[in-house]
This record gives sequence, structure tokens and C-alpha cells, in this order.
Amino acid sequence: MNTARLIAAAIFALAGFFGAPPAARAHAFLDHAAPAVGSTVPNPPPVIHLWFTQELEPAFSWVTVSDKSGASVSDGPAAIDPSNKMEMTVKLKPLPAGTYTVKWHALSVDTHTTEGDFTFQVKKG
Amino acid sequence: MLLEGTFVFWCLIAWPAFRRGGDAPAFEARMNRTVSWLAWASLLVAVVSGAGWLVIVGSNMSGTPLAAVLHGPVLGIVLTQTRFGTDWEIRAAFIAVVALCLLVQRGGRRRAAASIGFARAAAFVAALAWAGHGAATEQVPFDALHLPADILHLLATGAWLGALLPLVLLLFAARRDGAPDAVGVARVATLRFSVLGLACVGTLIVTGIVNTWFLSGSVPALLGTLYGQLLLVKIALFAGMIAVASVNQRRLLPALAQAGYDDVVRLPTIRKVGRNAAIEASLGVFVLAIVGVIGVLTPGSHTEPRWPLPFRFDLGEMAPALRIGLLITIAAAILCLAVLALNAERKRYRQMTAALVVFLVLAVTGWYLLRPAIVAAYPTSFYASTQAYAAPSVTRGAPLYAQNCAVCHGADGRGDGPLSRKLPIRPADLTEPHLFAHKAGELYWWVSNGRDNGVMPGFADKLSSDQRWDLINFLLARAAGAMTKEIGPQIGTKAVPPLPDFAFEQSGAQNTLSQTLKSGPTLVILFGTPVPRARLEELARAKLRFAAVDLHVIAVALDRSKVEAPFIVAVSDDARTTLALFRSRADGGDTELLLDRGGNIRARWTAVGRVADAATLLADAVSVAKIPVAAANHAGHGQ
Repeated sequence: MNTARLIAAAIFALAGFFGAPPAARAHAFLDHAAPAVGSTVPNPPPVIHLWFTQELEPAFSWVTVSDKSGASVSDGPAAIDPSNKMEMTVKLKPLPAGTYTVKWHALSVDTHTTEGDFTFQVKKG
Repeated sequence: MLLEGTFVFWCLIAWPAFRRGGDAPAFEARMNRTVSWLAWASLLVAVVSGAGWLVIVGSNMSGTPLAAVLHGPVLGIVLTQTRFGTDWEIRAAFIAVVALCLLVQRGGRRRAAASIGFARAAAFVAALAWAGHGAATEQVPFDALHLPADILHLLATGAWLGALLPLVLLLFAARRDGAPDAVGVARVATLRFSVLGLACVGTLIVTGIVNTWFLSGSVPALLGTLYGQLLLVKIALFAGMIAVASVNQRRLLPALAQAGYDDVVRLPTIRKVGRNAAIEASLGVFVLAIVGVIGVLTPGSHTEPRWPLPFRFDLGEMAPALRIGLLITIAAAILCLAVLALNAERKRYRQMTAALVVFLVLAVTGWYLLRPAIVAAYPTSFYASTQAYAAPSVTRGAPLYAQNCAVCHGADGRGDGPLSRKLPIRPADLTEPHLFAHKAGELYWWVSNGRDNGVMPGFADKLSSDQRWDLINFLLARAAGAMTKEIGPQIGTKAVPPLPDFAFEQSGAQNTLSQTLKSGPTLVILFGTPVPRARLEELARAKLRFAAVDLHVIAVALDRSKVEAPFIVAVSDDARTTLALFRSRADGGDTELLLDRGGNIRARWTAVGRVADAATLLADAVSVAKIPVAAANHAGHGQ
């Protein structure tokens, strides 16, 4: 057993020493969105796509999109694609120029909750 | 878990022990009653904790308070609509089957029922892993290992800890009984348990390493987060358990095996084994408690790790030959330790001393080799940026630099601001490639807390954390821009750090540079007036051939001109100002940058020099695509 422990310790030390192994993500974080986080878009998007790093539970995940006054501009609740549970979409009403805040709340299939928000701008011209 | 252990104990240890250890029917009957009682008790615990778990997780998942979970529709939704709910139901079914087995066993057909119960209980424990982190890892290399490792880890834990408690009970009962046959049973049981223990401990070590690798991810995460630290405490406790177990294994078991039927030796030895097993079991309870706490924490890769040491190792600072030397030294040192342990075990002290001396020499050599790789580190060294390295952040950082930093570091970052002459130390040139030798977390520390005994002030009070990251993104983008101007049309091994991400619109669809790069290398064309129309049309004729090698072309007008030509994308002002850092007026017409899939700039052509023809671009795209992309950094989860 001593030898086994020694080898294990050696492997562990080596693993730690020579570079960080790939870190797994056990939570659903926002990978990217369209319109992109913080971006300015020339045309009002009809729908927002959010891609997460992990599969979501539709029952407890949602997105709200609001304008400067805090009024919701989404057209119906957020939907999760049953064939790709890592993607959440929400339809939008026709947006006038302005800054919009997207708040998301995601429950990953491993029961962990994550939240976040970002803004995007619609600037006609 | 206890349930599994109990069955393991029954099947693998107790019965063979009774069969071989001696004829003690009364003792066997009493033990059976005790263990059966234990099985029912652990079943009860499983039911109660399972129900509690459902309520607590349901509350966490839905964000509703515990009391509301019990009354509202939440539990129904959790059970019918979530993966966790499905898993929970499967486990509940397992428990029911186990209960049935226990009932049947009481009815007499013990062995068959217990075997089924054993399998069911094991399956139950394995199912625990499904809902946990094991089932949920993203696509990473060796991902397939994670779930089996999780399941084996739980099974081994169950078998070891679970069987430990019945063993302790058996040993104490045997001692109280005192009859030679009962003691004989205890002896065989102990010997058998040691085999099980060895197998389990081996499994736990290997699977534990795999799991640590997956969930914690790195040394900084292990040392710098609460999650990682708890994991270390858990490993320390586990080491304590192994230490106690190895006393049993090395000292007491040989004595017990030799003792045969000599009660003068047997009884006290069994007492000691029992005491050690009890210590092991209580350490095990602490380990389980820590596991419970860890279970509700965020795994190590999600909180920013606070680095506890004033230095870190940066192997990139070492010459390749030294690195190989270090590897050999470490391998030799490990070998040496193994020899040392082997000799210590056989009590060959002279050889042991020799091995120790060699080890010390190797350690000193290793340290000497390692010295150039030791660089200063700060608590925030391994922090990842909260702001994605992208055009909006870089654009926010530019005015922050002008207001706070330009006075010393200069408007262009060359360390020549108006105040620089009055300072005892010349301010750093922030456009030098050396900037990238520092981790972003270290720049963050200096921007926050200052440098060189206050010659550079800290800005933690003046700028918010997000603003400091914006500032750093601006510094990195500007330095990358300065480095770009040094790069030529030949694809070399040297790459300029990445172009910041930016969003654009192409034929009505929203896209970003980072998304484009995911599918292949990209040629970014930056132009002013006049629009290089002929060039874009020349490239457009090769469009199909580019598509065949997944080479994308994005053309950006830096001066807001609106023109229709192939590849031109619409971008916002932040992208324009950021990309302008990568083109100098001396470039003439357009500047073309070839990016590898990591966004690093691999080649650069200017109109003043000569732009590449389609055939060259195709060849370059193929060779750039072969460059391995370093694992995507986690900078900016908000991206």
C-alpha cells in the first residue's frame, strides 16, 4: 500500500506541476449570446439567443429583457430547444433604439443555479 | 452508503468468517440480528435523508423557501420535469427493492435475497453519482472517465466506510463474548476486511485524483478556494484513516494471522484492531461531513482563487533544456523515494540512508534548476477577468487610461508621461511584449494596490473592479496592437496575443469574431478610405476555395464609411476604435491579419508591402489551422 500511495502522490504532484488540467464546468454559464454581450446592433433583433456551457432545466430557467424604464420587451416566455438544451431563446417585441438589459437565470441539469445580466444597444443608422 | 457496506459486510466478510472461523451459532445469530438492525436503521436514514434532500434541492433549484416547497407545486415540477427528479425516483425505487430484500431475508431465504440486496444497494449508490457533478461535465478531454470515476469512488466509499461500522460492532461483540469460536470469527472477519479495505482504498485514491482533476481543475483552485481547501482537509483526513488502517495492516494483522488459536495474543490484538477501526470510522464521519459541505459549494473552477503564496512557478520562463533536466530530476527523485520506502519497510537502514542522501542531492538540484521559473505572485495572480477581452471593454478602458495612467505612463503607454521624469523609477513601458509575461491577475494586483512602495499608486479606491479589468483589457489590446506592427507576412511559430473579440452583422445575421474563429482561421481586413474594392473582389473570387479550408474573411471599415463590397461587415464604434489599435496609418491602404483559431495574429500584410494572393492565403490557412489552440481561457464568464 505504501508503494501505491507513493505512486499516487507522485502522479498527483506531477499533474499539479505540469500545467493545469482542463477545468470542468459544473455550472451553466453564459457562453455567448446573439446579439453579443455589450454589443451595439444596427437593426433591432427579433429574438435573443443565449448559449450556455451546459444543459438547462427548462422548468427553472428564464430570461427577461427590459428597456431603460425597466419595462419588459420580451414577447412571451423564454424557450429552451429540446434538441439542444444548452440554448435558450426569447422573442422580442419590435425594439426602438436604446439600451436593453438581459437578465438570465439558469438552472443546470446538475441542480446548480447561476445568474447574470448584460446589456446590448440598438442604434439605428 | 451504510446500506451498501452492510450488505458487503454480510456477503463478503461475515458469512465466510462464520463458515471458516469456527462454530459459533449463538454468536452468529446475535451478530445477524445486530447487522440486520443496522441495515434497517440505515434504510431509515436513507429514506429520511432522501426526502430531506429532495426538499432542500427543490428549494435551491426553484429559489423558493423550504416551507413554500412543501406546500406549493414545486416538488411536483421537480419530480416530473427535471433530470434530478427522475434520478431521485430511480433511487427511491432502489430503496424500495432493498427494503423488500431485507423483508424476504427475514423470511429465511437469506443468501439469495442478500445478494440481490447487495447488487441493488450498490446500484443505488452508483445512481447517486448521476445527479451529482459527474453527470454534468461539459465536453472536455477524458470526460468519459469522470462518471465511472465518480461511481467507483462512491461504491468504494460505501464498501469501506459502510462495512467498517459492522466490523467495529462485530469486534466489540466478539471481545465481550470472549468464546474462542467468536474470537476466531472476529479474526477471519478482520483478515477478510483488510483485503476489502485495500481494494477500496486503492480505488478511492485513483478515483479521487481523477475527480479532483475534473472538479478543481488546477493548483490555484485547490489552494485558493474554499472548495479546494475543504478538499485538501478531506484528503488529509483520508490520509489519517489510511495511517490508522496501515497500523492495522502492517502491525496487527500479521500478529493476528500468526496467532492462530492463541487467545493470549488474539484477544488484545482484536481489541486494538477494534479500537483502530473505531477511530477510522469516526474520521470517516468527518470526511462525509466535509463531503456534505463541499456538495453545496460551487466547485473550484468557478470562484476566483486567492493565491496564498508569494511566488509561483512559471515553466515558460525556463529554457527547454532546463525543463527536460527538471523532468528527469523529478522522475529520479520519485524513484529514489520509492527505493527509500522499500528499504525503510525492510528495515535496511544503510540502504535507506544512501537513498535519502541521493534524494536530498536530487532535491537540491531540482530546486537549482527550478529557480528561474520562480516568479513573484500575488493573491490575485490567478484571478480571471470579470470583463471579457472584447471591444466594449477595451473601449471603456481607453478613457480610464487617459484619466488615470497617462500622466506617468504616457499617452501612448511608452512610459514617458509628463510626470515620469520626476519619479525615482521610470514608469513601465506598457507596449512592450513583456507585458504578456505577467498574468492578467498580476496586472490587476498592481492596478489595484500600486507598485514599488507607492511610486505607483493603487487605484482600488478610485476605480471599480470592473473598471480595473476594462483598463487591463485596454492595456493588453494596445500592447498586442504594438506587437502586431512587428509581425510580417511569414507564418512563424511566434504569434501576437489575440485580437479582442467584437460583434458584427453580416447579411442581417449577428455574429462575433470568437464564434467565427470556432470553425476556422480568419482573415481580418482593416481598411480606411479608399475602400480596397479590387482586393475584396479578388478575394471574393476565391470564396469557395476559402470555404473548403474553413478560412473566413471579415472586412471592417475603420472610418464609418458605408460601402457595399464583398466580406464587409457592419460593426459598432467600439469595435472600430479597438481594431484601430491594430492598424497604423503607415500601412497604406488595408491591413490584413490572419488569425489562428485562438484569435492570435499569425501573419500580417499591408498594402504598402504586398498583400497575399489567394493561393498563398489558402496555404497559410491550412498551416495555421494545424497550430494547436491552447485551451480557451476562462476570462470573462459573462461573455
